Amino acid sequence: MACLVAENLSYSYSPKGQVALDHVSFEITTGTMTALVGPNGAGKSTLLGLLKGHRKPAKGEITIDGNPLMNGQSQVALMPQRSRLNWNFPITVEGLVALGRVNYSRSTCCELEAALQRVGISSLAKRRLDSLSGGQQQRALLAKTLMKPAKIFLLDEPCSSLDPPAREDFLLIMRQIADAGASVFISSHDWGASLNAYDKVVALDKTILASGTPELVKEKLDSISCMHGSYCGG
Amino acid sequence: MVAIAVVNFHQIQETWWVTPFCVILFTGILCPAMGTLLITHKRLLQVNLISHCVLPGLALAVALGVSPSLGGVFSGLLGALAAEGLTNKKNENYEAIMNTILAGSLGLGVLLIPLLGIRIDLESVLFGDLLTANLGDLLRTIISFLAFICLILFGYEKLVHIGLDPEGAAESGIKVSYLNLALGLTTALVIVSSMSAIGVILVIALLSTPALLGLQQAPSLWVAMVRSSIFGIILSALGFLLAIVFNLSPGPLVAVLCILLIALLPSKRNN
Repeated sequence: MACLVAENLSYSYSPKGQVALDHVSFEITTGTMTALVGPNGAGKSTLLGLLKGHRKPAKGEITIDGNPLMNGQSQVALMPQRSRLNWNFPITVEGLVALGRVNYSRSTCCELEAALQRVGISSLAKRRLDSLSGGQQQRALLAKTLMKPAKIFLLDEPCSSLDPPAREDFLLIMRQIADAGASVFISSHDWGASLNAYDKVVALDKTILASGTPELVKEKLDSISCMHGSYCGG
Repeated sequence: MVAIAVVNFHQIQETWWVTPFCVILFTGILCPAMGTLLITHKRLLQVNLISHCVLPGLALAVALGVSPSLGGVFSGLLGALAAEGLTNKKNENYEAIMNTILAGSLGLGVLLIPLLGIRIDLESVLFGDLLTANLGDLLRTIISFLAFICLILFGYEKLVHIGLDPEGAAESGIKVSYLNLALGLTTALVIVSSMSAIGVILVIALLSTPALLGLQQAPSLWVAMVRSSIFGIILSALGFLLAIVFNLSPGPLVAVLCILLIALLPSKRNN
């Protein structure tokens, strides 16, 4: 069942500026894991910003369960790119995760513990953030995102700085979250073998290049020249 | 009972070193705690700008016959607003522009003194004159201390969120620009109140060095602030004591001790 529907989304950063997104349409289905792939500057982060409601599309509409996004914004949670965070800030893992509920309500210990357990870092709760590895930091950031009472999780390049084993572990956690009934939408540079971990793939370069199962999208991408550059994952 | 307290207070006042010692202790607590907050928010350059912007306001206030502190806080706040505007635009020449405004403000302050025909002891404003600190200076420091406590009590969680992820904080509905303005105002108050203890230029040392030590392995911002303040008290008391023993100026001495304290910083580990 379609949970989030984006129809004909267009966006540009200034009225006379270059179009960042052009008539983008796709669906995110309940309980699935969808990859959003595309080269640098393809508009992936812009699209995630629109889906979270941080930006308004110039044209088009986003609906959640048939209702406009504005009415269901709290059902969408976004995990930002890791470069956005000040990782040297004096805070423990549990301190970071608790901030996930700062504007909703005070988090209970149980909720915090549950979020940490879901991403497998309960034992690191008291550790300072800058003492963790890159993979552990990403899990902590994911736990913070999971603290939000959302059913659609948007993740902006969560695997970009992870080595292949850590990436696999991360995607496994995301699969468990999707299997529990949430919709997971992950932007990525990697359209190699790791695409097989997803139920559906959306390829974007300002407009939708291809959309469907990983096999189908890979076939289509092979015939699109812009995807053959250095970004190709394998 | 009240009469005894008043008599005791006057007796304490007659001991010349009590008021300056209280001023440097409060400054030693306040500046490092504030500095910790500012370092974690990556705003030390803005602080430098604010401290250099204090002098023109101070000179104008003296010329107009109002409290120099008010003038200092006002022009410091203007500096904070300029810093805020520059930070938000953040163009590639941001640091160069900031440093030019910083130097220009100090220059304007120095020029205003002869132009307005006023007398200001520039040395004590810039580098402090702790041993002549009076109850007014102590009161200013306590007011700044209370303003800082209010900022922390009402905005701690939000300040943590902003320091960790400013964009995320704004996206989750936190009024980042208002809080940054409150931070700028409190910084201006702290700088002006530290004027007698260490001076508006040397205060940057007391804002940063103890904070660098306090931040080492601190599990949270408030723990880092408390640790920084402990380092700050030790540093200030030591500076005060050495200044009396060796008959030196306390402000510059505290700033020099800050350099020695940097040696205690552990070298950055490689991940």
